[in-house]
Amino acid sequence: MTAPPSQADLPSRVAALCAHLRSAHGFRLGPGETAAALAALGAVNLGRRREVRDALRAVLTASREEGRVFDAAFDTFFRQGEAPAPLRLPPLLPQTEAPLPPPPPAPASQTGDEGAAQPTPAGQAVAGEDDGDAPTPTHPNPEREAEGEPDAPAPLLHARRSPNAGAGGGVTTPEDDLAELLRAAGALVRAVELGRGRRLVPRPVGSRLDARRTLRSAARTAGDPARLRWLGRPRRAPRFLLVLDGSRSMGPHAARLLRFAHALHLRSRRVEVYAFSTDLTRLTPHLRRAVPGAALTLPDLGGAWGGGTRIGENLLRLAREERGRVTRDTVVLILSDGLDTGEPETLTRALRDLRARAGMLVWLSPLASLPGYQPVQRAVAAALPLLDAFLPAASLRDLHALGGRLQR
Amino acid sequence: MTALPEPPDLRAAFRERGYVAGDALATALRLVVALGKPLLLEGPAGVGKTEAAKTLAAALGTRLIRLQCYEGLDAQSALYEWNYARQLLHLRAAEAGGRAVTDAELYGPEFLMQRPLLEAIRQPTPPVLLIDEVDRADDAFEAFLLELLAEWQVTVPELGTLTATARPYVLLTSNRARELSDALRRRCLYLWVDYPSRAEELEIVRARLPGIDAELAGQVTRAVHALRELPLGKPPGVAETLDWAAALVALHRDHLDAAALELTLGAVLKLREDQLLARPVLEKLARP
Repeated sequence: MTAPPSQADLPSRVAALCAHLRSAHGFRLGPGETAAALAALGAVNLGRRREVRDALRAVLTASREEGRVFDAAFDTFFRQGEAPAPLRLPPLLPQTEAPLPPPPPAPASQTGDEGAAQPTPAGQAVAGEDDGDAPTPTHPNPEREAEGEPDAPAPLLHARRSPNAGAGGGVTTPEDDLAELLRAAGALVRAVELGRGRRLVPRPVGSRLDARRTLRSAARTAGDPARLRWLGRPRRAPRFLLVLDGSRSMGPHAARLLRFAHALHLRSRRVEVYAFSTDLTRLTPHLRRAVPGAALTLPDLGGAWGGGTRIGENLLRLAREERGRVTRDTVVLILSDGLDTGEPETLTRALRDLRARAGMLVWLSPLASLPGYQPVQRAVAAALPLLDAFLPAASLRDLHALGGRLQR
Repeated sequence: MTALPEPPDLRAAFRERGYVAGDALATALRLVVALGKPLLLEGPAGVGKTEAAKTLAAALGTRLIRLQCYEGLDAQSALYEWNYARQLLHLRAAEAGGRAVTDAELYGPEFLMQRPLLEAIRQPTPPVLLIDEVDRADDAFEAFLLELLAEWQVTVPELGTLTATARPYVLLTSNRARELSDALRRRCLYLWVDYPSRAEELEIVRARLPGIDAELAGQVTRAVHALRELPLGKPPGVAETLDWAAALVALHRDHLDAAALELTLGAVLKLREDQLLARPVLEKLARP
């Protein structure tokens, strides 16, 4: 693969690129896509490397994240010159477990590209698509760290111990009470009522005449529309946007709420899940791949799990970057204890933004179920005036009761 | 696949019409014309996705047919509808005249109201079909689109199957309000359109507003790029850059100062909170 590109071996090179993207990065590419890629090359100037890359990217990728991986793979497969530096490709999907290489001698500088996947060795899972400003260039093995092995340079260890740092590491939750959580999730999906949708469907009584069905029935009465048919608007099916606080202070509650998020995802396809600690990451793709009934295992979430808490900054980032996902159909569920080190003003700004666009803004706190609990934490006190509901979420009973409590 | 005519130099054609297309977009549009595959454009609002479709239609000298997607959009509104009122009147008139009406007569072309998708596949020459903001439509409509994009034919129960006379050049846009299905993505070419670089945006401003003062154009693009670095609720798109520059030109300004900023801030920042947040940054950039 180090030979300079020539037009003669182009088809085999493209086929190899497709196979690599499929096997190493989980791209959904079949023979049809390979044929389309070759057809695309027939429509561009093969002498222009950039044009070839743009054409193949348009055919072989289906999302922005895939585009980034593609660019690195393309550079490897269509390398210019004789002495290229080998590129290490960041896989989109976790590959098989492999021993970690020794850490780099100096911390790598961050790229300016938001969310860009850092080139990591093959075999090492990347944190996800939103971990652009993760605190470290590589994610150390949490097991090794727990054993006290000095496998990271001193500045890195120091950063991990700071109150604002993200601990990272993979996340595994037990599979014990999924059935109960599914019941609670189902009750919540059924209970939330956000008004009527805009789609018109046939109904016995409705707001608009169904001319098509009325005319069809008129054919039976010699053109006389004796029986009118109606169209009405069905109940608006809610979307859910869960933002889960995965910081250290959430302790065992975070794992249960993550399972609840998974259960909600299994009950409705209209669920988006994010986790945050010092950083924010989208969990939906991981939950989509998770096997129902089995233990939930997530790859290294970097700064989004097990570290400090920055609620305001992460919610503001969510409100800004995922603006399109929050509509009047959306119930935003913030699952957090509210123990925040950030400024309440940032949180207020983020919540005001979310409230303006969401159908319902709810905060679920594990602490709220404690007897005599007072919402005096700075973050919670600042958030309360902007919330539709502030509810406890420490036990299964609390989660079961959610549906009833959110019924309007 | 039948050989298609060599597409024109789209980049130059776009440039003539004031649209500065990047390399990736020019190549993707070239493939739309050459391969006849739909192109899905994703990216933040205001980066010129819809405008790309309009300009493509102009560059190819063909019609633009636009379907604006929204929640609740169904196949009937996008494809065709019968003119029920006229059909009923026709029935009544026939009844009064003692004449029987046949199905073929009642469901004839004079009662058929074509909606954008049906119109697009019945054109004698390939139009550009823009399916705008497809992420706003429901899953059910997306599934319906799959059939159309794969087969280029639709079935009207009363008329039978209608096959495209000329395949339209299809562009779909999405602002990622909803995750689109893998099936739809697989049927399309894909391009993520990001905000242009400062140099590209300056070129766009100059192309769209040829009479603009060079210093003013530079200041405006510099300011917009500084604004996009801030955590704004609604970051300015290219459309806002052009609106802002046009507003300043209309006020006969040759540079950005505090007074001009005061008068025109609403052209670039549409939320009061954003204006408050950005004011210190903009005041630094404005010349005293």
